[in-house]
This record gives sequence, structure tokens and C-alpha cells, in this order.
Amino acid sequence: MNDFGLILIGLILCTTTISSLQCNHLPLQQRKVIENSLQLLDKMGKKFPQQCLREEMSFRFPEQVLKLGQREAVKMAIEEIFHHIFYIFSKNLTLAAWDGTALEQFQNGLYQQIEQLEACVIKKQTHYFQKKEVNRLKLKKYFQKIDCFLKDKQHNLCSWEISRAEMRRCLQLIDKVVRRLNN
Amino acid sequence: VKDTLCRPSLEPPLCYFLVGQTNLKSPQDIQVYVVNTNFTLRWKYTGNDTDVTFSAEYRWFEDFKVDGTEWKKLPGCQNDTRTECDFSSAITEYYDKHHLRIRTERREEVSPWSSIFEMTPYDIAQIGPPGIELQSINGVIKIKVSPPEANQVQKMWIDDLSFKYNLVIWENSSNAEFRSQSIFPTDKIYDLAPDTTYCLKVQATYPLESKEGLFSPVHCIKTTHKVNVTFCATNVSILALNMKFHLHWDNRYKQHVSYNVQYLSGYLKKLYDDYSVKWLNVPGCENITDTQCNFSSIITTVSGTFYLRVQAMIENNKSCLSNEVKVIPLVTNEIGPPGVKVDISDDVLLHIQIYPPGGSESEVMRDNYDFSYRILYWKNSSNNEEEIKMKEIKQTIGTISDLTPSTLYCVKVQAFSKAYNKSSHFSKEECIKTPGDKILPLVILATFVTAVVAVLLVAAPLIFVLYQAYSKIKYVFFPSCQPPLNIEGFGGQLFNSPYRPTAEEPIENFSIIETIITEDLNQIDFKDYKHSKQSSRDSGNYSNDDDTSGSKASEEMLEKEIV
Repeated sequence: MNDFGLILIGLILCTTTISSLQCNHLPLQQRKVIENSLQLLDKMGKKFPQQCLREEMSFRFPEQVLKLGQREAVKMAIEEIFHHIFYIFSKNLTLAAWDGTALEQFQNGLYQQIEQLEACVIKKQTHYFQKKEVNRLKLKKYFQKIDCFLKDKQHNLCSWEISRAEMRRCLQLIDKVVRRLNN
Repeated sequence: VKDTLCRPSLEPPLCYFLVGQTNLKSPQDIQVYVVNTNFTLRWKYTGNDTDVTFSAEYRWFEDFKVDGTEWKKLPGCQNDTRTECDFSSAITEYYDKHHLRIRTERREEVSPWSSIFEMTPYDIAQIGPPGIELQSINGVIKIKVSPPEANQVQKMWIDDLSFKYNLVIWENSSNAEFRSQSIFPTDKIYDLAPDTTYCLKVQATYPLESKEGLFSPVHCIKTTHKVNVTFCATNVSILALNMKFHLHWDNRYKQHVSYNVQYLSGYLKKLYDDYSVKWLNVPGCENITDTQCNFSSIITTVSGTFYLRVQAMIENNKSCLSNEVKVIPLVTNEIGPPGVKVDISDDVLLHIQIYPPGGSESEVMRDNYDFSYRILYWKNSSNNEEEIKMKEIKQTIGTISDLTPSTLYCVKVQAFSKAYNKSSHFSKEECIKTPGDKILPLVILATFVTAVVAVLLVAAPLIFVLYQAYSKIKYVFFPSCQPPLNIEGFGGQLFNSPYRPTAEEPIENFSIIETIITEDLNQIDFKDYKHSKQSSRDSGNYSNDDDTSGSKASEEMLEKEIV
């Protein structure tokens, strides 16, 4: 109990200092990160290989997660998507044979956004998770499918190229939403 | 009391009618406890019976469908005597909704099913404790954290990069203060007293879901003696202006030290791999003796944080690493002042042309900072009490109107980014004088010219009329022509009448005097006649015609008559 109490105090203190951080630049920075990420995704590899067309998978991104009805929910969804993309592109990339510099810049840009979003989001109370929407779970299932797909194919070239194309589509969707969100 | 029990799971459905009471109570207060992928079902049995067993069933709703699967026996929870069971093997879809129910059994007797317990595994799952490895080096504790489900095939927390680790550390003594800090999977704990035993524990948190995991077991370690290295670089700091980044440091070591500036991409710290081998040398800052380095070349994009450190080296290949500094390009960078040019147009408007800060780099800054400009302008007069006015614009051209003429105005401009809450220093003052009032002199000139023209228009005919009158009067009262000497005596009466036909004179002369003399006389007369004719235009019958033509006509007439 003592531990928990102290941790809670620590977290509260953390939250107060965090909420005094300058966070106004995040929407602007987010747009730039998405723009850059799309460019780097194109830059890191060549055109989609013909031989991989056979293996195309339909992952069905849950577009309702980005519906602009609830701005806060959409913002949280975008933050989560950044996390997932960052995770997917973090390992087992040898067989993809992509441009290492572009990949590094891609990851670095995503991570900067993640880190700053983390620092700026005012932590909701612990009962937040009770408000879980089914959409968030659908989003997780979508990324789980991609992760499983890559693992099943042992992260070969085609599985990577298909995943890269899928992530590109995902980021383009987010790009459109973010532009509307900030206007 | 009759209890009716239907068992729809048997084909065909059989209904049992039990004679007598069934005291078997359904289990109550069902709870599910989940840590990572370990599922534990717990319940309470309020009945008095001791020889009862419990069995559970489950069903789930695949892919968020409304209709669930059929009820199935829950493996691991069949014929349990205790009031808890482990059913981890049954659950594979962690994002799907599941239903659970239990009932009490005793030989053939079964209780009614308990109320359904609804759950989504992911929502109720707790994050398990992470693994810790510790190392004590030079008064610092090096910690390596492994994620909660490391080496597990089936994971609840697939994205282990989203974990944020919370460290709680305290001195192993009474009344020790707890210190809590966020750490990376591979990190160093500083600010510790040397030769002291510290105890610590780590929990994994999932910020996106506001989830806090279970703490790891407590680990204790003793810090070593701190060796003071004298030649390390100290006070490492960053000076960045208009996207030109410079690292500066100090060194009190008197003898020769050479430096290597190294950098690391920020995201590498988030991974579980050892990033200590991934530091790279900054090009142009290898083996240098200067205590500063321009590392702009590594900032290839503005999206991305970097860490920098200085490695100091002395002769016998001993080296020392400085503290790390973090660079977030757009946040660390300072904006320089913009360029300003002022101009005044004819319609007394002050135009300010702003050149965004940064010069060649300015495209990057303009793209990312979304500049606005603050213009300060004031009248530069001898009394310094003139108020300074401010105008904020987004474009690079500003216009100021409502200027007083013949005044010296001074302007200075500051660039700022509302998004990043950053502003530059003000530019140099640019002063320009508004032209004097052109209106009044123009008005005066116009009036003068108009007046002159008016006067001329009125005066000229007037003068002309007056002159005409004057010449007539002069002609009448003070004629200029003298009669010939020989007819002087005739008196003025003959010449007084202005309407006397002058053509008659020569005719008279013709009849009296000889021809030669007549001709001479004619000539003389004609000359005088002409003379007088020229001086007075209006006299005689020749009002509109030309003088010479008129007199020529009379000449011809006279000559004809002579002949």
C-alpha cells in the first residue's frame, strides 16, 4: 500500500509537470511526420515486385476507427497506429533489403512523434479502460493479423512488400483525416 | 418444491424432474484474473455441501459478431474441487468477447448455471512483471529490462515496444526515500551515492491504455566507488541558430586532449537491442582538439530526435565519455531574426518586405515552423514619448497606412512560431521618412496658374479693346498724318470728317495739275494713304478686306482713271 501510494504520488507529480509542457506544435508536427513517413516508405524500397502480387492479402483496415465523429477518439487511434507501425518495422528486416538510412529516418520520425505525444497526453484516470470501444480492439486485431502474416511467412521479401504497401495505405488514410482534423 | 432442469445440450432434450429439493447452489461472484496469457477463474460457493465439484463452460463471439459459438466445456475447469481453475489453454482470441458460466455438481445432481460472466481478455489482462539484469560500474547502475512476455510464443502484449518502464529505487536503509523514474530497456541510473546498497523494482506500463503492470521482484545491488576522470568533457551544451547546430563543451584538463563527437538516433533507445554499439562519429568532428563541433550534417530530417556525446581521449588511449544531450531539432533550434526592407509608395503607404529567417535553410524552417511576423513601428522624433505600435501578419509583405507626412518612421520585425512557442530576436531597425505634404504646394500652384490664365483671358481682350479705342481717339483727335505743305492752308475742317471719301482727292488733283506732277502727287498721296491706311484699319470702306488688297484696288482704279 505504501509502495502504491508513493507511486501514485509520483505519477501525479509526473502528470503535473508533463501537462505544463509545450504541446501546441504536435498537430503541425504530426502532419509533417505523416508526410515524411509516406515519402520515406516510398524511398526505402523499389516498386512492388510482380511476383508478390499472387500473395496479396486483404487485411481490412477498420476505417470506422478514423471517423471524425469523436476527435479525441480519433487522435488516440492515430497515436496507437503510430505505435503499431513503429513496432512492425522494428525487426527482422534483413530479407526486405530496404535502404537502411531511409528506414532509420522513418523509424526515428515515428518515434519522435510517439515520444512527444506520450509526454503531452494528459493521462486519463485509470477507469479510462472501462470506456474501451470495440473499434480500438478491431484496430489491434488488424495489426495482429499483419504481425501473424509476417511471422508465418518468416519475414520474407514478399511478406514485407505486402506489409509495406498496406502501411502506406494506412498512412494515406491518416493523412486525409489529420488534414480534416486540423482545419 | 419441484425443480425443473433442462439439459439442452443432450439430444434429444431431456427434462429431469427431481423429486425433492436440490440444495445445490450455483457458484457466485465469478471473477477472472488474467496476467499476460494466464487465465484464472475464481468463484464463491455459499452452500454447505463439501463433496461438490464444479464445471465450467464458455463460448465466444468471433470477429465481433452478434452470435456467439456454442457453449463448450471449459478445459482446465472440469470437476474442480477447489473454487478456482486455470483455463489459459482455452483462450486464443484475446480481442474477442467471451462468456463464462459455472455450475456446482455432485454425482448426478447439478445446480443451475451461474450468471454469465462476460469478458474481453485484453481488457481485463494485467501486464506481468518484467525481467531485470543489473550491473554496477563506476558509481552508476546499469540496468537491462526484458519485456514481460520475453521468449513466449503466444503473447497478450504483441507490441512490446509500447511499454514504458517505471523504476522505483531506494537506499537499503531505514527511512529511505523512494525515487521513481522512467527508464529505457537499457539504461543507466545516475545520481547515486557510491559504495551504497540500493534496492529497486521495475514495472511495465502501457501508456496508451493507462495500464500499469505488476512489479518485478525487488533486486538489490551495491554501487562501486566512483573514479573521477579528470579529462572528461563537461558542460556539454547545444547552440542552434537557424538550423545550424553546434555542440560546445569545456575541459579543465591542461594537457592535450582530442575529442570524438558521437551521435545516436533517438529511436534506438526504445529497442531491446544493445544500442551502445550503435553510436556513430559525427563527420568532421573526429579526432579534433577544438571544444566545439558543428553537427548540422547529421540532422538530415527535422523529424527525429538525436543523442550526442563527447568522447575525450588522451595519449595512452584512455577515453572518457561525457554526458549525453538530447536534440529535438525543431524544439532545440532557435529562430534568427528576419530580414527587413522598407519602402514608401506614392499613396503614402509604408511597405515592409520581410525575408524569412534562415537564408538557404529557410525553406525547412518555413515549412515546419509556420511563421508569423510581429512588426513594431514608431515615429522617430526628438521626443521619445512616441508610442510603439504593433502589427502581426502571416505574409511576408506588410503595409502600414495612416502615416503622418514628413515624419521619420522606424520599423523592426520579429519572426515567431505560434505552434512551437518560439520567437526570434528583432531585426535591425529600418527607418524611412514619409514625403512632405505635396498637396498644398500643388494647390497653390494650380490656383496660381488658373488665376494667371483667368487674368490673361480677361485682360487680353480688355487691353485690346482699350488699345483700339485709344488708337481711334488718337486718330480722330490727334491724327498722325500731316497734310501736304501746299494744301496746308485748307484747314483742318476738310480732314475732320472721318467719312469723307478719300478717293476723291487724287481725282481732284488729276484735273488741275500736269500728269508728271499728278503721278508724283499720286505716289506721295498713295504712300501717305497707305501709311494712314495701315495705321488705322477701321477707317474708310475697307472694313474686312486686307489693307494692301484694298489699297491695290484703289490704285488700279486710279490708274485706270488716269489712263
